[in-house]
Amino acid sequence: MSVDTMPAAEPLYRSQRLALRYFTAAIALFGVMIVFGLLSAAYYLFPSMLFNTLNFNTSKIMHIDVLVIWLLMAFVGAVYWYLPKELGREMAGIRAAEITFWVFCVAVALVAATFLLVQYGSASEFTLWFINQGRKYVEAPRWAAIGIVAILLVFSWNVVGTCVKARRMTGIMWVMVLDLIPLVVVYLDAFPADTNMSTDLYWWWWLVHMWVESTWEVLIGCIMALVLMDVMGTSRRIVEAWLYIEVMLVLGAGILGLGHHYFWIGTPQYWLAIGGFFSALEPLPLLGMVVHAVYDAGMHRLKTNNQPAFYWITAEALGNFIGAGIWGFMMTLPQINLFSHGTQWTVSHGHFAFYGAYVCGVIAVMYVARQRVTGVPMLAGRTWRWGFGLLNLGMVGMVMALLLAGMAQAFYGRAIGGSTLMAFTTASENLWFKSGMYARMLFGVVFAAGYVALVYDLLRSPRRAPAIAAAPEPA
Amino acid sequence: MNPAALLETAALMGLLVLAGGGYGGLYGAGRLWSRPALVRAGQACWLLAFAIALLIAVRTPLDVGWKLLILASALVYAVIPPATWRFLQRLHGDEESRP
Ligand code: HEM
Ligand code: HEM
Repeated sequence: MSVDTMPAAEPLYRSQRLALRYFTAAIALFGVMIVFGLLSAAYYLFPSMLFNTLNFNTSKIMHIDVLVIWLLMAFVGAVYWYLPKELGREMAGIRAAEITFWVFCVAVALVAATFLLVQYGSASEFTLWFINQGRKYVEAPRWAAIGIVAILLVFSWNVVGTCVKARRMTGIMWVMVLDLIPLVVVYLDAFPADTNMSTDLYWWWWLVHMWVESTWEVLIGCIMALVLMDVMGTSRRIVEAWLYIEVMLVLGAGILGLGHHYFWIGTPQYWLAIGGFFSALEPLPLLGMVVHAVYDAGMHRLKTNNQPAFYWITAEALGNFIGAGIWGFMMTLPQINLFSHGTQWTVSHGHFAFYGAYVCGVIAVMYVARQRVTGVPMLAGRTWRWGFGLLNLGMVGMVMALLLAGMAQAFYGRAIGGSTLMAFTTASENLWFKSGMYARMLFGVVFAAGYVALVYDLLRSPRRAPAIAAAPEPA
Repeated sequence: MNPAALLETAALMGLLVLAGGGYGGLYGAGRLWSRPALVRAGQACWLLAFAIALLIAVRTPLDVGWKLLILASALVYAVIPPATWRFLQRLHGDEESRP
């Protein structure tokens, strides 16, 4: 098909334009996150680097807080993208949403500047309000945390308000609306300043765990359901039936899987049993998802008109299974976790699970948006493969290197050395650990190259390939 | 748990889920392309998963409760792929037979 005979891209809803802005911000922050990931990795090779100018902890805060923010932005973008399509009308509260986007960006910039320039403060209320709350992943000072609640409330209003105004409710929207309640409520956990470390961690895990292993899983499940209908033409009845089952299973095992974070923070001993039991169940629904992915991939392989999105969806299903299922299960029983806790082994799982479960999924949505914006009937070609290949290779290489390094720490530093300071130092000098750190850096650079290829492919104007006979239509 | 047992137990736990995933993937691919050999390879993966669970039960120093849980979950692995497949097929079948 020549470019001239291409169907013109249909006009976008305002909320879809806003979604594009969210995707742009998300992908830019993804880059910032990678820069600070590489910097954090470099400290392991050159420990005195930037001493007293920019310490490891600040770099790591930037890396992981930006991770949470860019994924949130991508989720919001994905929902704004699909909302009008799902409900057949412009999003309610679009003006407020447009304003909050800029508020969000300015707040992120201010917090980043505070982290980089001020870095830390005295143990005072002022520090909590204006510099750093000191809780991993959600270090943002209180004013910014309040801002995030406001943004999430506007977002919730957009979703619920659109359903109300459209007088229409689909199964996917029910799941999403119900999910918004815990999504916002557990974030409120980021506020109290409890002086007891155990209770503080107890509630902080509610936020981190309930986000990444429950509410985010449900949200990405809804987003993937919408993508599957869009990209593969899977019928609504199928994706919805599957979504209900997945949500039940993920929440069934995931909520009390929280216990695997309560092993060593001073909580009662029964958490050892609860945490071990429920998290041992967590791989079961993931296994079902693998079968579902094979089924969908096979059934719709020839019908997809968006190859990159298709491959990223498949990577999401497999990555979630391997990163969360296999990597998580390896160290989830208390007898093993006693040794692996807080080593690079955990870091390995954290990277793989976040990447598999969320990053792959949101990249798929970005490709859906790209196809729609450019009006290309068939998104294929070679360039996207570079991003896909390098990002996956970089991630797999990094997590393997981290796994070996972490196992060396658990083996030499904990099991043999008995967790003394001397044993920690010895383990850090161990060849396995050191090689792991070099290999992680190397694969980190591969990952960064993959990011560059991804951005290039998302931004470049596409060569138009011939359309397939019939684009998939949701049944 | 002694140092060697730590690594051995963790590796066996990881391999257990990996073999389960292999079963799911191969079983699905076999059913998809009607290739009984792939389905059988998938079933072999499940046997491997079960053998790993037995090994965990026999060789590792985990408490008996955890061993039972692992054996039970290996048994549940056996039914997940065929049950999921049947469920998906039924949904698709229903869908196609709708007017
Ligand atoms: C170039 C790529 C990357 C490099 C070099 C890198 C490096 C690092 C480093 C050095 C740390 C600190 C670990 C420690 O405390 O010892 C870290 C933590 C973390 N990174 Fe990355 N990272 C990269 C990409 C990513 C990506 C793509 C994700 C998510 C999808 C991610 C998620 C995380 C998480 C969740 C943590 C905290 C883990 C924990 O403390 O257990 N990183 N990363
Ligand atoms: C999408 C799903 C998941 C994500 C994104 C995820 C992410 C993470 C991250 C980032 C950490 C490090 C937390 C920290 O200390 O900073 C972690 C810890 C942990 N995860 Fe997951 N996880 C997921 C699923 C699972 C599953 C299914 C299991 C078990 C089968 C599991 C077991 C664990 C355990 C035991 C720890 C604690 C490690 C330690 O003690 O150091 N996770 N997870």
